[in-house]
Amino acid sequence: MKYKHSKILFVIFVNLIVISGCSPIVENNQIEDIAPVTFWSIQKGEDENFRMSTLIPPLVKEKKRLLTVQVDLLKEGMQGFNLKYYRELKVGQLRMLLISEEIAKEGISPLIDTILTDPDITKRLYLAIVKGDFDEYINSQLVMQEDLDYYLYQMFKHYDTQGKLTVINLHQFMRTLHSPAHSPVVPVFEASNENFQYQGTGIFKNDKLIETTNNMEEQIYQLIDNDHFLKYFPIPDLSFVLGHVKSNVQLNMDKAYSELNLNVQLNGRLDEIAREHKLLTREELSRFESEIELYLEEQTTKFLKKLQENKVDPLQLRKYTLRPFSKPLNEKEWSNRWERMEVKVDYDVKIQPLTDIKN
Amino acid sequence: MSEFSLFDKTSSYDGIYMTLMVNRIQMLYFAIIMPVFLIDPYMIWVIIIVGVLSQISIFMLSKWFNSKYAFKGYGGFVELFGERMVRLLSFIGIGFILLKVTVITLGYIEVVQQFIFPSVNTNWMLLYILLICWYVASLGMANTIRFIVIAFLCTAWMLLLLLNFLFQPFATIHDLFPLIPYEWTMKSWKGVLFIWSALSGPEYLVLLSPWFNTREKILKYMTIGNAFTIFEYVFIFIASLFFFGSHYVGENKFPLVEMIRYLESPVFERIDMILISVYLFQFVFAISIFLLLFYGATRITLKKSKDQTTRSGFALCCALLFISLMISNELLWKKATNQNILLELEMWAGSLTYLFVPLVLFISLKRKGRV
Repeated sequence: MKYKHSKILFVIFVNLIVISGCSPIVENNQIEDIAPVTFWSIQKGEDENFRMSTLIPPLVKEKKRLLTVQVDLLKEGMQGFNLKYYRELKVGQLRMLLISEEIAKEGISPLIDTILTDPDITKRLYLAIVKGDFDEYINSQLVMQEDLDYYLYQMFKHYDTQGKLTVINLHQFMRTLHSPAHSPVVPVFEASNENFQYQGTGIFKNDKLIETTNNMEEQIYQLIDNDHFLKYFPIPDLSFVLGHVKSNVQLNMDKAYSELNLNVQLNGRLDEIAREHKLLTREELSRFESEIELYLEEQTTKFLKKLQENKVDPLQLRKYTLRPFSKPLNEKEWSNRWERMEVKVDYDVKIQPLTDIKN
Repeated sequence: MSEFSLFDKTSSYDGIYMTLMVNRIQMLYFAIIMPVFLIDPYMIWVIIIVGVLSQISIFMLSKWFNSKYAFKGYGGFVELFGERMVRLLSFIGIGFILLKVTVITLGYIEVVQQFIFPSVNTNWMLLYILLICWYVASLGMANTIRFIVIAFLCTAWMLLLLLNFLFQPFATIHDLFPLIPYEWTMKSWKGVLFIWSALSGPEYLVLLSPWFNTREKILKYMTIGNAFTIFEYVFIFIASLFFFGSHYVGENKFPLVEMIRYLESPVFERIDMILISVYLFQFVFAISIFLLLFYGATRITLKKSKDQTTRSGFALCCALLFISLMISNELLWKKATNQNILLELEMWAGSLTYLFVPLVLFISLKRKGRV
């Protein structure tokens, strides 16, 4: 009996230590004292290195507002926010990291490494590159949309599972950054006073942004690599819009890695024809198909050539050289081969007309 | 006041306990950091090969369980080696046990510090964990062995979570290529050593032989435990290759925890916090067992094995363990995996004990049998 009592006393004693001020746990997460933020936007500062901003979530009935600090170091910004605001900012709910284009062009790996080492920050943090002034956009939109940051996050989350836009989180970025191709991709957005708009996929070489895909390239990239699906596929040059395009991609390389054969099968339907045409006949449809095929082949070849010139490999083509029982190429050999590789693109387009076809 | 007897043989356990113990004792700290040391996809085969070799050790250990000495425990060892030798061996054993406990405890604490309490002094955590283990161990050997069921049920299911990583959009089958090695460097040898050392642990279970009854089928039960471990290793490694890719896996300090962090439950985001905490059950079990072995070995070394176990003696042992752990935590435990002298030592020590303990037992049994 005596020992039972001492056990209970012991438990009470330990609890007293932990609950009272003697606790070895320094950090305090009382909800009244903290402000979990959902995004950081990092732009080039005027005098200092960075200008960081974030939206403070309201606890009581107060207006959301944008906090901005000018700092040299990322985590210094974290401290700066706290010095400016009466509640302590916590990064546990950080979901998006928006980096300005200027910084991305100089290399983002110092930023990313800092973020990566913080165990509070999730690896599912979405990355995006922003052209233009994001702060300006937020400031002008806050009046109209209160929960702007939340909607932004919802958008990322939606397209993360849906495809159609490039969405990259921190882990995926790091994984491709460390793969031998060293060519991660990050979505690029353009921010202006009223708009925050998706621009395309930013292609990185190591940790530096080197270019952003234009409209056509972006759609080709979505079809052949990202999600193999596009809900709308406008081809303005031919005045067509294809809908619900699903692609089936086959990549073949010859043994010497001097030739790349890219076969893409597209299945979709003809959503819109903006040119003058007679009643759709079978011949006309197949003429359309071959016209689209030709156009896409040309565009895709151009896109791949551009990648080769820039010595980047965002499609991760190197992985197709890996086989279970053959020696892998090392990085240098691969990049040499890739630059000189001959690219042959072949499209096979099958479209369904929306109306009945006359024979 | 009831007598305080730690080593009473109040019950004898089935072989299934042996399966669970073999498995859990092989899944300690080393399993968490394993992918960092393996990196290349062909290590999948190495895991399997080393696992099969480990089966030989298991086989030799099971011979001990089948022998007539096994159920006598300490007496059996004395009959086999002579008392002086047993005292010497247990003195050496104290060092190995201490090293093993140090590495698994400090390793676990490091994980906790990095992911849950970044600002808490590690010595506090050390104290709390040892207090729990002290409590568990003071219930006696029989109860501690029984605790394995809880430890197993709490931790084994986590393997299922890793299934997620086989179906991530960025995982491709190419992450597993090439499947055969094209260069074999020092690093690969270190990988082999690491796996072998990670598989070590069952050799300590021979000391628990008096608590087991079904000696005939013990080989079968141990084999199941070992096979399950190998399956777990391969599964963890493949999942981490899919998740990180072989070029990125080496950059992470605790790949397994990083992977678990990536999982998100809709209710609770930091799922890793819960899982790391639950993982403690397994560590508490292992440390408690080693604590008892430590106490037992000290008694044998000091020629006290016939006396009644005392509370104060046990408490003294725990305090001693705590102090030595604290000292190595302060002085020797470096936070970089590749420069950690204790980890390196344990890799060699674990490999040596797992190689020689079964071998010595097996040979001396054979010689005794012949004489």
